[in-house]
Amino acid sequence: MTDAFLEVRSISKAYEGVQALKDVSITIGRGEIHCLVGENGSGKSTLIKCIGGVVTPDSGQVVIGGRVFERLQAIDAIREGIQVIYQDLSLYPNITVAENISLNQFVERRASFINWKEVRAIAAQGLAEIGEDIPLDENVQNLSVAKRQIVAITRCLTHGAKLIIMDEATSAITRDDVNHLFTVIARLKQKGISTLFISHKLSEVFEIAEMVTIIRDGRKVGDYPTAELDDQKLTFLMTGRNVQYTPYQFPAEKRKETPVLEARSLSRRGHFQNLSFSLWPGEILGLTGLIGSGRTELALSLFGLNRPDSGQILLNGKSVRIRSPRDAVRFGIGYLPEDRLTQGLFIGQSIGDNIVITIVRKLLGFLRLLDPARMKKTGEEWIADLKIKAPSARVPAWSLSGCNQQRVVLAKWLATDPKVFILDGPTIGVDIASKSNIHEIIRSLAERGIAIILISDEIPEILHSCNRVLVMGEGQLKKEIPDTADVDEAELLAVVGGKLLSGAVRA
Amino acid sequence: MNTRIFRRNEFYLLAVIVVFCLGITIVSPAFLTVENLFDLIRSSSGMAILAVGFFVVLLSGGTDISFPAVAIVSQYIAVNAIIALGIDNLWLAFAISSAIGIAFGAVNAFFISFFKIPTLIVTLATMNIFHGLLLEFVGTKAINAGQLPNCFKTFGLTDLFTLARADGSTYGLSVFFVVLVLVLLVTWVILRHTVLGRVIYAMGGNMEAAKRSGFNIKRAQFFIYCYVGFLASVMGIIHVSLIRYSNATYIIDSELLHVIAAVVLGGASILGGAGTLTGTILGVIMISILEKNLVLLGLSSYWQQFFVGLIIVLGVSVTHIQKRIQNRRSLALVRE
Repeated sequence: MTDAFLEVRSISKAYEGVQALKDVSITIGRGEIHCLVGENGSGKSTLIKCIGGVVTPDSGQVVIGGRVFERLQAIDAIREGIQVIYQDLSLYPNITVAENISLNQFVERRASFINWKEVRAIAAQGLAEIGEDIPLDENVQNLSVAKRQIVAITRCLTHGAKLIIMDEATSAITRDDVNHLFTVIARLKQKGISTLFISHKLSEVFEIAEMVTIIRDGRKVGDYPTAELDDQKLTFLMTGRNVQYTPYQFPAEKRKETPVLEARSLSRRGHFQNLSFSLWPGEILGLTGLIGSGRTELALSLFGLNRPDSGQILLNGKSVRIRSPRDAVRFGIGYLPEDRLTQGLFIGQSIGDNIVITIVRKLLGFLRLLDPARMKKTGEEWIADLKIKAPSARVPAWSLSGCNQQRVVLAKWLATDPKVFILDGPTIGVDIASKSNIHEIIRSLAERGIAIILISDEIPEILHSCNRVLVMGEGQLKKEIPDTADVDEAELLAVVGGKLLSGAVRA
Repeated sequence: MNTRIFRRNEFYLLAVIVVFCLGITIVSPAFLTVENLFDLIRSSSGMAILAVGFFVVLLSGGTDISFPAVAIVSQYIAVNAIIALGIDNLWLAFAISSAIGIAFGAVNAFFISFFKIPTLIVTLATMNIFHGLLLEFVGTKAINAGQLPNCFKTFGLTDLFTLARADGSTYGLSVFFVVLVLVLLVTWVILRHTVLGRVIYAMGGNMEAAKRSGFNIKRAQFFIYCYVGFLASVMGIIHVSLIRYSNATYIIDSELLHVIAAVVLGGASILGGAGTLTGTILGVIMISILEKNLVLLGLSSYWQQFFVGLIIVLGVSVTHIQKRIQNRRSLALVRE
C-alpha cells in the first residue's frame, strides 16, 4: 500500500481495565470509501477517537500521509486533514450556513475580526466544490437534516479535509437523502478525499463501500473488499455467530376463536379510511407501509391518542371506545413508541422506577402510599425476566445501552399485563445481535398468548418475526398477506412500493 | 428580506410601542414632548446599559443575576474611596468602580468556567457574597447628597445641549446618553465584527459543538462575565449621579426584574443564541415607558409590577413556543 493516506498500526486502548481496543490496525487509501462496521460496544467509537486524536492510545502508532505520530493530538489530526462528523453534526443552529462553514477558520488563524465577505466567499466556494446549492444566509435551524449534513461536509472540505469520518450519518435521513449523500461521497472520492463511513445498515455498507473493516469486541476481525462479502457473511463476521431466522408459526385453527382485537371500518379523515382487521391471541401481526401510509396513525388510534371519526373497535368481541391512553391501558393495550428516548423512558429515573411507572397504582400499600419494597421487588423481577444487563434496579435509565433501554420499555409495558401489544419500530438503532435478541423476546411474548402488532420498515424483520402482514398505503389497507411463508423479501417490498403481487400470494 | 422584517420580533415590539405611545398621548397629550423623551433617556440609560450586559450573557447561553449587586457594591466603594482620598475626580471614580466590577465578573467566570457550575447558581451565590462582604467590611452608612462628592453631582447634571421651555427655564439631553451610545457601539462591534463575538453566538447555539471546534470557551466566558461586571459598575456610577444618594443596603431588585423583562421582551432567548441589540433597546424603551407612564393612563403604579411579571412570563412562553414550532418544522423537513 504505497498510496495509503492513513495507517493505524496496532493500536490498543484500555479504559479502567476494560480493553476497548486490542491491537487494531486499519489502512485507508487516498480517495477510498471505507466502511467500519461492528456492533455497539465493539470499539468503533474508540477507534474513531484515536484517529481523530481525541483519545491517546496506550500503544501503537497513527501514520498520516507518511508522518508517524506516537501521540496524535486533535490539533495534529485536523492539520493533517482528518475531520470527524459526529452524529449530531456539531452545527450552530442559530447562525447562518455561511458562518457555520467559515467560523472555525477565523478562530484557527487567531483572527480578531470577522470579514463577512470572506465568510461568504469561503462558504460559497466550499459548496460549489461539491456541487451543492444551499442559501448562504439561511439559519441552519431552518434546514432539513440532510441539508445540515451537507453543511457539515462542506465545513470539513473548507478545512482542507483529506479524510472525512462520518459517524452513523444515515440514521436520521430518508432514503432519497441517503442516495444524495452517497453521490456527494462519490464526488469527494473524485477529489481524492477518503471517507470512513460508520453504519449499522448493512445494505448501505454494500452500496457505498470499497473496503470494509470489521471489528468485534475491540479486535479487528479483518479487512474485506466489499465484493467478497454478502449479508450473511458480514453478519457472521460482526456477531461471531450465525443469526438464523425461522418464520414464526401460528396455528390456523386458533383463528376460529374470538379475536382479541377487531377493527371494523375504522376511518379518520386524512389519516386512514375504512380499515378492518382482526387479531388473535398469540399472533404476531406485521404492519408495514411507507412513511405517511397511515400505519403509525392507526397504532395511535388503537392506543387512544388519535380518535377515529367512524368505525368500531372490538375487544374480545365487545365494542369499546378508547378515548385516552389510560383507557387503552385499562383495556389491556400496550404501546411501545418509535422514539423510546423521548416517548418511552424517563431517562433520568432509575430502571426500577421506569418499569413500575405503569402499574404504580397497583403497588400502593398502607394509606395508599407507595410501597418501596414491592416496587423494588417488581422491578427486579422484570430485570431478571427480560435479562436486562444492569448492576441494579437503582441505576438511571440513561446509563444503559440502547438495547437494554429498549428492554426496560418493554418491561414497563409487560408489567401492565397487556392482551394486545403494539410495537412501533422496536429495533430502530440497535445492532444485529441485540436485534435478534429483541425478536426472541417478542416471540416469547406471543407464545405467552399476547397478541402483537409489529410496525416496521424493515421487510426482513417483518418476514422473520410475523406470521401475517398488513400492508398499508395512502391510508388504505392495500394488502393482507395471510402467511409470511408464502412470500419473499422482493415480493413484499414490491407490494409496499405499490406493485401488485404475483399469483401465488394474491389471496 | 422585505417579508423577513415582518417575521422579526423587533417589528412587532416597535408596533406595540408606537400604539402604546399613541394611546398615552390621546389620554394625556403632555406625554409626547421632547422634554419627556429627554427625561426618559436620563432615567433609563442606566437600565439600558445593564440590559446590554445581560443580553450578552444570555446570548452566550448563560445568565448573570449578580449584576445589580455588582453595581451597588462597586458604586458604594467608589463613592467612599473618592471621599476618603479627597480626590474629587469622576474618571477616578469610574476607574475604581470598573476595577471592582471586572474583578467580580472574573470571580463569576472562574466558578463557571473551571468548575462548570450552572451560571444561575454561581451568580445567585456570588450576588449574596459580594453584597454580604460589602455590608460587613465597608459599612452600611448611606451617603446623602450633602456628603456626595461634587464630581457625581456635576456628572448627573451635565447636558449635551439644552432647550428652553415656554417660561424660560431650560431642560437638556443628559450626557448619560453619550455613555449609552458608546456602550451600544462597542457591544455592537464586538458581537458583529469580532471573532470573539461570533464565538459568543456559537456558544449559545451549540455549546458542545463550540467545545469540539476548539474554541477557547474559558477565555470567552471570562470576557463575557467581566464585561457584564464592567457595564454594571458603569451603571453604578450613573445611578449615584442620577439620584445623588448611595446606600449600601439598597438592593436593586426591581432593576434586576426590569432588565430581565426588557431583554426577554426584546426577543432574546433564555436558552441562548438568539436576539439582537436592537430588540434589547426596544425592550428597554417599552419597559421604561410602562414604568413611568402607567399613572398617565389612570392606573396605580402598582400595576407596573404586575405588567413586568406578565411580560417575563409571556416573553419566555413565546420563545418556547417558537422553539417548538421550529422543532416541528424541522421534523417535517426530515420527512419531506
